[in-house]
Order: sequence, then C-alpha cells, then structure tokens
Amino acid sequence: MTWISKSVTGLGLLFLAHACYSAHEHSALHSTSTAALSSIASHSTTASNVTSLPIDISIETVVAVFVICVGLVLGSPELRPIQWRVWAGKIEREGEKGFMSSDGTVDKDYVGNPFRVLESRPGFIDIRKQRKEFAEWVREGGVAVGAPKS
Amino acid sequence: MAQIPVQTIHRDPQLFYWILIPITVVMILTGVLRHYATVLMATEPKKQELPAIREQRSLLRGINLRTNANVISPASFQARKDYLVNAYERGDFLKDPDKKGQAAANPMTDPAAMEGMMGMMKGNMAMMIPQTLIMGWINAFFSGFVIIRLPFPLTIKFKSMLQAGVGTRDMDPQWMSSISWYVLCIFGLQSVFNYLLGSDNAASQMAQQMGQMGPGAGAQMFGPGVDPDKQFKAEAENLSVLAHEYTLEGVEDRLLETVRV
Amino acid sequence: MSSSLSHPPAHLPPAVALRISQQAPITLRNPPSVISSYSISSLWSAAETPELWTEYENLMLSCLRTGDEQSAHLCLERLTERFGAENEKLMALRGLFQEAIAKDDAELKQVLEEYENILTKDPSNMPVTKRRIALLKTLDKTTEAITALNEFVDSSPTDAEAWAELADLYVGQGMYPQAVFAMEEVLLITPNAWNIHARLGEVLFMAGSTGDSSADKYLGDALRRFCRSIELCDDYLRGYYGLKLTTSKLLSILPQASRQSKSDSGLALPDLKTVERLNETATAKLSEIVRKSVNGEPGWGGYEQAEVIAAKALLDSSAAKTIR
Repeated sequence: MTWISKSVTGLGLLFLAHACYSAHEHSALHSTSTAALSSIASHSTTASNVTSLPIDISIETVVAVFVICVGLVLGSPELRPIQWRVWAGKIEREGEKGFMSSDGTVDKDYVGNPFRVLESRPGFIDIRKQRKEFAEWVREGGVAVGAPKS
Repeated sequence: MAQIPVQTIHRDPQLFYWILIPITVVMILTGVLRHYATVLMATEPKKQELPAIREQRSLLRGINLRTNANVISPASFQARKDYLVNAYERGDFLKDPDKKGQAAANPMTDPAAMEGMMGMMKGNMAMMIPQTLIMGWINAFFSGFVIIRLPFPLTIKFKSMLQAGVGTRDMDPQWMSSISWYVLCIFGLQSVFNYLLGSDNAASQMAQQMGQMGPGAGAQMFGPGVDPDKQFKAEAENLSVLAHEYTLEGVEDRLLETVRV
Repeated sequence: MSSSLSHPPAHLPPAVALRISQQAPITLRNPPSVISSYSISSLWSAAETPELWTEYENLMLSCLRTGDEQSAHLCLERLTERFGAENEKLMALRGLFQEAIAKDDAELKQVLEEYENILTKDPSNMPVTKRRIALLKTLDKTTEAITALNEFVDSSPTDAEAWAELADLYVGQGMYPQAVFAMEEVLLITPNAWNIHARLGEVLFMAGSTGDSSADKYLGDALRRFCRSIELCDDYLRGYYGLKLTTSKLLSILPQASRQSKSDSGLALPDLKTVERLNETATAKLSEIVRKSVNGEPGWGGYEQAEVIAAKALLDSSAAKTIR
C-alpha cells in the first residue's frame, strides 16, 4: 500500500508545482505586457490590471490538491479502535504485538491494560514475598527469556 | 521570462555584522537566562496538610459517586448516598469544623493564595523585564535601520509588520527594519530554545513530576475565596436528587445479543 | 531501554524480570546527562524525559526482586541525586530497599519504626503511609494493616490503589461483604476497568462458594459482574473463565433455589434458560480462545500462558463431567 500512496502523493505534488509555476508565469507575462502597453501611463496600475487566471490552471490546482489528499489518506496507518470494548479486547487479545509499528517497536504510549496497576499495586508492593517467589522460581530451573530485543 | 523591476538600496555590509547578529545573539542569550531565572525563582508547590487533602478528596469522592453511580447496585448506592449526604451536611470532612458557617476569608489576606499570585507575578516579571530592556536598547541604538532584505516577495500588507520604525511609504515590503527583526526573534526563537534547553523547558516540569507521582499533590480544588462548606452542601444536594440506574440490570441479555461465537 | 521497563515490574513474569536485571549493569553504565558533571557533550545529548526516571524506578524494583542489590542501590542513588532525599516518593523507595535487604524480623521492625518516625513528622506523606501498611502486611499483622488502611482511605478516599489493597486484605480474612464494598469503591473511581469488574466477580463468587444462606444471591451478582467485564472487553479470557465457573455452579443449585429469593441488588436471579445459554457461550468462547492461542494464530498471542492453561484445564474437566 505504501508505494501506491507515495506515488499518488508525488504525482499530486508534481501537478501542484506545475500549477503554481504556470500561475506565476502567467501573472509575470501579463503584468509586463500591460506595463509595456501603458508604459506612458503611471506605473502603479499594474496591480489592478491583473485579470483572473485561465480556467485550466485553476482546474489543475484543484485536481492536484485532491490527488494529494487521496494519496495521504491512502498512506495513513490503520485506525485505532475507538470503541471501549474493541480497544480493550485488542489489548487483551494481542498484547504488545497488536501495537507494534512496522519496524518492530512497540508504540510509545502503549501501557497494556491501564487498570492493571490496581491489581499489581506498586505502592503496596511486598518486596520480600516477591524475592522469595523469585528465588523459588530460580530453584525450579527458570532461565531468562531468550535474546532481548531492546 | 519576465522580471518585475526590483528596488535596490545600497547598504553598508557592516550593518549585517553589527546589528543583525548582535540582536539575534542577545535574544537567544536572554531566552536562556530567562529560563534559568524561572527555574531558580520557582518555589516548591506548598505541601498540603492532611486535613486539607481529606477535605478535597472527600468532595471528589462525592463527585465520583455522582458520576459513576450506575456501576454499583441500588442498595450500595443508597447506603453511600445516605452516609455522604449526612456527613456533608454535618461538615464532617471540613478542614476546620469550627469555622463552619463563617464567610470565606478575603483571598488577598490568605497567605496561601498570595503565594500563588506571587508565583504568577514572578513568571510575568521574568517575561516583561528583559523584553522592555531589550526593546529600549534597540530603540536607543538601532532605531530606523533597514538591515535585511528578505529573499522572497511579499504583499503590501506586510509593510507595517516588517518596517516598524521606518517611515518610508514607497519602500518594498521585503526590506526589514531592526525593530521588526527583534519582534520576529521573539516569536521565532521558540524552536531554538527547545533545542538548547530541552523541549518545553524540561527542568521545571521534571521537578513537578516526582511530586505528582505520589498522590500528595492534589490539584487545588478550592480556589481562594471559595467556601468548602458551601461546596459540600451543594454536592449533598446534587447527590440526594440523583436518579440511579443500575448498569448490571439486564447485562446478561445484552451480552447474549452482542457476543457471536 | 526495552519497553517492558516502562511498566511496573510487579506483574512481569520472573523470566522477564531476570532478563531486565541482568541487563541492569549495561543500562546503568552511563549516568544520565542531567546529574553527570557538566561537559560540552551534554549540549548534544538528549534532554531528560520523564520516562527515564520511571524506568529507573522500575529497574530498581526488578533488581531488588532478583536480588541484584548493587544495581538497585545504584538506581536509588541516582534517583536521590536527581530529586533529593526529601522527596516523598524517594523516602518510600529507600524504605523499600531497606525492607528488601533486611535479614530478619528485628531489622524489619526497625524499618517500621523509621516509617512511623517519618509519619509523625509529616502525616500527609502518602507513599510512606502505603509502605508502612505493606510492611505491616509482610510482618503478618493483617488486622493492624487493615486498621491503618481504613484510616488511610478515610483521609484519601479517591485512591483506587488503596481501596483495591483493602479489598484484597479483606478477602484474605474472609470478610467478603467488606471486600465487596471496597471493590465497589474502586469501581466508582474507575468505572470502566474491566479487570476490576472481573475481580469483583471473583470476590462475589468466592463469597457465594462459602455455602451460607445467601449464596445464590452472591452468585447472581458475580454472574452479572463477569458479564459486565466481558461487555467492556471483547474476548476477555478471565471474564469468560469466571462466567463459565459461575454458570456451572448456578446450574447445579438453581433448580433448588427458591424462586422468590430477591437478590440484594433488587435484581432477581437470571432464569435457568439464560444461565444455560450463557454457559454455552462461555464454553464456546473459551474453547475458541484456547484453540487460537495455542495454535499461535496472529493477533491472539497476548494472553498469559498460565491463564490459557487454566482455561484449558477447566474446559477439559467440564467435558469429562458431561461424558460421564
């Protein structure tokens, strides 16, 4: 999907740049021609003499903006769930993997179940019990999980 | 390719070295200085006494009960409501129950409120004084200098913004005066400060963070001049007229309708 | 630093905790720029972030858990250097460190005395108050802990963590009505916490399993709490597990239960058909979750291994019962 969106956006930007350049050229040509015509008259009339742009330049601008919008929307990442139950279910079901971006890092604002703190309760942590449990776990032959990807 | 004739003004290149760069450097240094001055002047948020915390949180508890009443059963809600309404009306949670019924103290005489105002004053002062000084400095030395020509065309509307202090009517708006450069610096240097000092003035935020981690630093629920007793009474009234609707009623049917296996 | 460092370490599996604390020396090799002596390179180094100090705190807890006291002490020192020894939170952390390295109960009692000293000077020090309660619990003085905790929630009734702790202490004492009350307070603060709904369901289920007269009332409430937790969270394994347990139990007692028994909440017990359908749904959902999780289907890997195994065991046992 990404290359489609990128190429569409690029195409739109190209159109937009072309439209801008055309508009600039048009106004420059127009002002010098009128200036040349009325060179005897005062110089300050140039501003009021600029007529509207040709219709094709306007159309090109609008189309270019539209194409850019389409390209950007195509390239947007997957939307996050906004329903509470769907969001919560995603956390429970997929864990960290559900919130990974394409390059394998977990989203910065991912905290898992935010209410889990109410059950682990870091303020009331019983460190001695935890140490005991950990020592038992080691005695039973626990090892650290494989190569960390930090 | 057509060209609009350009205005040219012959400037001494020394203008660039002796006005533009000094203004910029002075602006940056003042910004850094102001940041550290603010950090130094910042007073620790005053710690609240236990009764004050209790007063605030008890009110919060009532508000919580009012907003989330539907998650508990009608009987539990009724019990809590009776307890809280009675306690609120008796003033059980007040910081100093003896003062109940007295008018709120004048916020100007309350030392705690004064402190907050002083904090605000200090912040404003740290902003105002350097700006006034620099403005005066630029006005005294560099007023009326045209120092730079912007490399892009601008419409006539920008003239008043970019040529403050220069009274020429026909000059192209691309030309910029020293005072305008100063104004532009005020608004444009934010990202430079972010880079130099860490984003959002990290130091001042960090000191607050450790305080907030513990529940000690409650937001000031009662602003100066608000009578807690009145707030409790109002909350008691809110609670006693609340209609209760139990969320768990019919939850099993709702669940059976929505869950598809 | 790895992402798991930004979570409080209490609910990490031991293997992860061990891995984190083994990495601690590497993580701690370079002091953060804020507290290191000034050098020109500090101009370019990244600004300090709030996450950094959270990570230090969590790293310290992990190290203490795995017995790496040196690294833990280093963390503590750096935190002290940054925030000063008078910081409330750091007082609690220092106490925690002393608790962890204390050799016997006498030393623990000393720590307790220290807490009490701090608290007489400044009774509004919440983190130390919590530590004191936790230490009382460690010393098996549960009743004292409950009394202290009751005082605490009286002065700070919006602290969900304290209410949850109180509920757990009550459950440990078998005082279920009080525990239910405390859990309801937690829910009033966090009304959408699906795990708290499930936990309340579990407490109610335990209360209903004691076999006193109002058991079916408790079970009905437990059923609804589990339903609510699933309503708040799709495919919630714990909720379905509890739902299945409760419905099975209800199915066994419902036929005898007097139909008129009004439950305390004003809600009657759900009728037999609904309970049966709920039971079927829970069974089907549980088996789906277990199947997908065991097969490692993409998007189903977030469940905890122990929970999946327990669900599988429950399914197997109920299947065996029906065959018999």
